[in-house]
Amino acid sequence: MTESKIVDLLAVFPDLEPAADAIEHLRSIGVHDGCMNVISGIPVTEAMLGRPSQWTNVPRIALGGALLGFGAGFFLAFVAPYLYPYPIQVSTQSYVPGPPAVVVLFELTMLGMLLSTFLGVFLDSFFPNYRPMKYVPEVSDGKIAILVECPYGDEMKIIDALKKSGAESVRPAEAQHL
Amino acid sequence: MAEKKNHAEHAHGEEHLRKKHLMLDPLPRGQMNAMVMESMHTTSWKFWAVFGLLAAITAYGLFYSWGVMIAEGLGVAGVNRPAYWGIFLVNTVFWIGISHAGTFISAILRVFKAEFRRPFTRAAELMTTFGLVQAGFSIFMHMGRVWLSYWLMPYPNQRMLWPNLHSPLSWDLLAITTYLLSSTMYLFLPLIPDVAMARDRSTGWRKTFYKILALGFRGTEGEWTHLRNAMNIFAWAIIPVMFSVHTIVSWDFAAATRPGWNSTIFGPYFVVGALHSGMGAVIMVLAIVRGTMKNMKYFIRPEHFEAIGKLMLIISMTWAYFFFNDYMVQWYGGDKWTKQLLHFHEAGPMGWMWFVMLIFNVAIPWAVLWNRKWRSTPWIVFTVGLLINVGMWFERYIIIPISLSINRMPFTWRLYQPGIEIPLGIGTLAFFILLYMAASRLIPLIPVWEVQEGQMAHELKKYGRETVVTVSELE
Repeated sequence: MTESKIVDLLAVFPDLEPAADAIEHLRSIGVHDGCMNVISGIPVTEAMLGRPSQWTNVPRIALGGALLGFGAGFFLAFVAPYLYPYPIQVSTQSYVPGPPAVVVLFELTMLGMLLSTFLGVFLDSFFPNYRPMKYVPEVSDGKIAILVECPYGDEMKIIDALKKSGAESVRPAEAQHL
Repeated sequence: MAEKKNHAEHAHGEEHLRKKHLMLDPLPRGQMNAMVMESMHTTSWKFWAVFGLLAAITAYGLFYSWGVMIAEGLGVAGVNRPAYWGIFLVNTVFWIGISHAGTFISAILRVFKAEFRRPFTRAAELMTTFGLVQAGFSIFMHMGRVWLSYWLMPYPNQRMLWPNLHSPLSWDLLAITTYLLSSTMYLFLPLIPDVAMARDRSTGWRKTFYKILALGFRGTEGEWTHLRNAMNIFAWAIIPVMFSVHTIVSWDFAAATRPGWNSTIFGPYFVVGALHSGMGAVIMVLAIVRGTMKNMKYFIRPEHFEAIGKLMLIISMTWAYFFFNDYMVQWYGGDKWTKQLLHFHEAGPMGWMWFVMLIFNVAIPWAVLWNRKWRSTPWIVFTVGLLINVGMWFERYIIIPISLSINRMPFTWRLYQPGIEIPLGIGTLAFFILLYMAASRLIPLIPVWEVQEGQMAHELKKYGRETVVTVSELE
């Protein structure tokens, strides 16, 4: 039985243009998009780098939170008034008056949505994560890094492609405490 | 020769435009990072002197005085029949108003892609969170028996009593809690990349602090995608939440059948009033940050004061429109007690406050802010912002205790005389500034990544003989 060994390389580029070229170059030599990850100090869109769209669950989680919030609001506005042992009668309003119910539903729906959106970032990004990770601090100084997973034995070919595309440095990626 | 002259003029024009616009005057990202880090690390003895003074005022004004009120009871405050609502609620409405600026600048201007917002969104968002903290304190002070505040929450209890969710006061709890949580989360999300930057450049306790706050952020494609999506959802969703908060606050008054309060226009009138004081406060904060913190003159430029000055002028006009609308309808109605109240506002013992309110909120902003040069001058707009905030505080004072001083039962009429509310109010102001000063040394006030992103999208282009600023869509 042979074990396929994977080596991670971290290439640092001075700018977006050479990084985009490098991605194209890597693709042309057979590196799959799923084996590359771009690390940057500003949000670089997929279109700028010619990368496939990134999947995110944040909008779905937000929607789920909104539904939960709506449910909580529905309970407080429509169900709870009938659970009170001492029903609250305000003026000539019914136990479940319409306009106040709208206020309660709105506030709790929005609270549910925004809390879950926030939570969604944590879940999708695996935050907080204080384990050692593959990273170079130059990224926050404006450099673009490409993390490439390559099969053992293909490193030289990939290093060569990265350097030809303008990488300032290419080195084996080592996980370190940030 | 003429061609050479034209070339020189063109180069000069470009240079002028670059100096004027932060987005056209990029520096390497590393240099901008270093400037922001230096501004956080540089503190003079003056900073600590002011910090110490504010800490002493907070300790006496907020915590000691509150302790006295808890020990002695609400009798030490000036609230009494008929004005049961006094400065505590004036301050609550005032601080919630201040908090509106952060969302307005960060969310509405983000949605409309107003590029000038980029360097100061965080400075404004911080005001939202810290302003809401003071609003929370003020409303807890108003409760008197603050240790029973949990009664507001719907929870199963021995006496089987639940809060009345038909009441605007219960909606306040829901709305303010929603807004405080949302605005804090909205402050934190765009902060993550900047604290990651600070983490990469720090040592010692600061490194640990930023490492915890950065949550392990590296800037991978996935992380940015999740963050960008979340920020878009927040920017859209927090706008109706912002509108709902001050509208609900206005219903605390408008839902009552009191003369002067029972107005259908109070919701939008309060929202505009909140934006008016909030924008005034933002411009004050920006002038102070620019004047006192190192390297901030690069990030906060006259163009920013000019843009906010324009917004302030428009908001002042809108506020005047709503004020007149509210006044006109009440005056025209001819109700005896309403007319009596309007007369009391203008000619009563506190009538001076009504005139000062109009001068500070309308006359001065209109007289000053129409002029581009004046509204681009930090100390001038700082002064206008300060006066607007005084004027807006007076407006809330007129709406609450002054309007409560007279009613349909003349034998109860009595002018409100504040007591311990004064040190407590000063305490909240000192605490707000104190929190802001501490935050300015702990977290990057400038969202560097947003500035760099904006600088990437802007360029100068020549159309015929004129050089113009263009901006391309990055998202």
